[in-house]
Amino acid sequence: MSLFDLPFEEPEPEAAAEPTRTRARAPERRVHTVSELTARIRTLLEEELFEIWVEGEISNCRVWNTGHLYFTLKDGSAQVKGVMFRSALRLLKFTPKDGLRVVARGRVSVYDPKGEYQIVCEHLEPGGLGALQLAYDQLKERLAKEGLFDARRKRTLPALPRKIGVVTSLDGAAIRDIIKVLRRRYANAHVVIRPVRVQGEGAALDIARGLAAIVKVKGVDVVIVGRGGGSMEDLWAFNEEVAVRAIAGCPLPIISAVGHETDVTLADFVADLRAPTPSAAAEMVVARKDEFVSRIDRLEGRLDGSMHNRRHRLESRLRALDARAGLGGARGRLAMHGRHVGELSHELRQAIRARIAARERKYQSLRLALETFDLRRRLGGLRTRLVAGDGHLAAVRARRRHALDARLGAALARLESLSPLAVLARGYAVCWNGDRTQIVRDASALSIGDQVTVTVQRGELACEVKDVR
Amino acid sequence: MSADTIKDFEAAIAELEAVVKKLEEGDLPLEESLRLYERGVHLSRFCHAQLEEAERRIEILNERGHLQPAPATLTSEDDSQGKR
Repeated sequence: MSLFDLPFEEPEPEAAAEPTRTRARAPERRVHTVSELTARIRTLLEEELFEIWVEGEISNCRVWNTGHLYFTLKDGSAQVKGVMFRSALRLLKFTPKDGLRVVARGRVSVYDPKGEYQIVCEHLEPGGLGALQLAYDQLKERLAKEGLFDARRKRTLPALPRKIGVVTSLDGAAIRDIIKVLRRRYANAHVVIRPVRVQGEGAALDIARGLAAIVKVKGVDVVIVGRGGGSMEDLWAFNEEVAVRAIAGCPLPIISAVGHETDVTLADFVADLRAPTPSAAAEMVVARKDEFVSRIDRLEGRLDGSMHNRRHRLESRLRALDARAGLGGARGRLAMHGRHVGELSHELRQAIRARIAARERKYQSLRLALETFDLRRRLGGLRTRLVAGDGHLAAVRARRRHALDARLGAALARLESLSPLAVLARGYAVCWNGDRTQIVRDASALSIGDQVTVTVQRGELACEVKDVR
Repeated sequence: MSADTIKDFEAAIAELEAVVKKLEEGDLPLEESLRLYERGVHLSRFCHAQLEEAERRIEILNERGHLQPAPATLTSEDDSQGKR
């Protein structure tokens, strides 16, 4: 049963207006019924106080099974009853509780059967908000002037967090969210939690002390401070000077993660990084690791790629050399040069033979002359000339041979430079298969235990395959 | 290659980047590029090792400044409904 389930009764009695006017004059005995008096009171109050604001502390607060809220508003020396109907109550973003200071908007209404008046509330807002807002604005201005919000002060997070310090309550959703994200994204995360109270009296100091303690833990290199969502008052500790200054003065990179996306506290302004939620803070810490993993993967790809290109270029160069000076080509060249040499030798022989023939002819004619003419007298002279002739012949022969040798040498040197063996002198090696019939170009053509021959600049190595990669 | 001339993780990444760039610019003698490649592989292994090095552990720092293991309720995976 609710008070307001009972109807307000009785329309305004006409008699009510009359006595008010007469009161100024000589007192006149006019006896009211209780109902009349109450009706007059109701009229006075309801007409005068139909739209008022009142601030006070809630007590005896209770929601009846009709869904309406009944409570008492009080301050140091007075109290007034209040009611808030379900329809209005539903629109509130917070739950009114005993002890909460509120500002209520509504009208005064009189309940005749009990001779009581109360406030019918249209709207409630947490009281003292105005004062809090003022404190917030003043502190914000002061800290800004000190330069604590400067972008220059912001540090970057460590590339790879070794230990992640978390300063928050163990009871809230925040710590679970953080652990969940770290577990999912960074299996080997090392987390050190400093439990603190995050709302209520003394919470700000607790947070400041928690920060001071956690930065002393060896190896901690990044800190997350925060809590889950709540009302402006719930988050208030993160707007208090002692906590905000502790965050600003934190010697390690620090992320603030207070409430939800839309909640902004002074802690967010002084932290190195502001995370919209505790989960997001964990993501930020981990994002750096992901970034590095993919960066290293990309670098490795490029590393292998460059080596692959290099090998590819070397291989095609070797193939080109092979084609130009490979065995078939070399044989061709050799044959050509051989023919050339053969021709030269033939020419040489011809020339020598011709010379010899000419000399022979001369010799024969001389001999004839000698026999025909005075033999003894001419013999000495002839012999001298003959010897000289022979000497000349030998010299011609030697000169000719020398020139030919030089040409042959040059030809061979050119041939040499085209040979794959010359490449060996530059540090490459050639790997042959077991019976030395083919060059090995593909490691997969071999298996473990196969014999191969490796030709280097000087000599060869007989090798056995130990591994194929 | 000289194993521990690597200062830290970030230095290793920076050097790896330099090595890759040098290799990609090409035209190094074969021996030099082989040496750089080996150095690069060494650096990337170092980086991976660092990435995997951190321990998986969750601890509570208590009022006295001592570290103790976190309660299981906090770290169990399927505890999302657990509100207190």
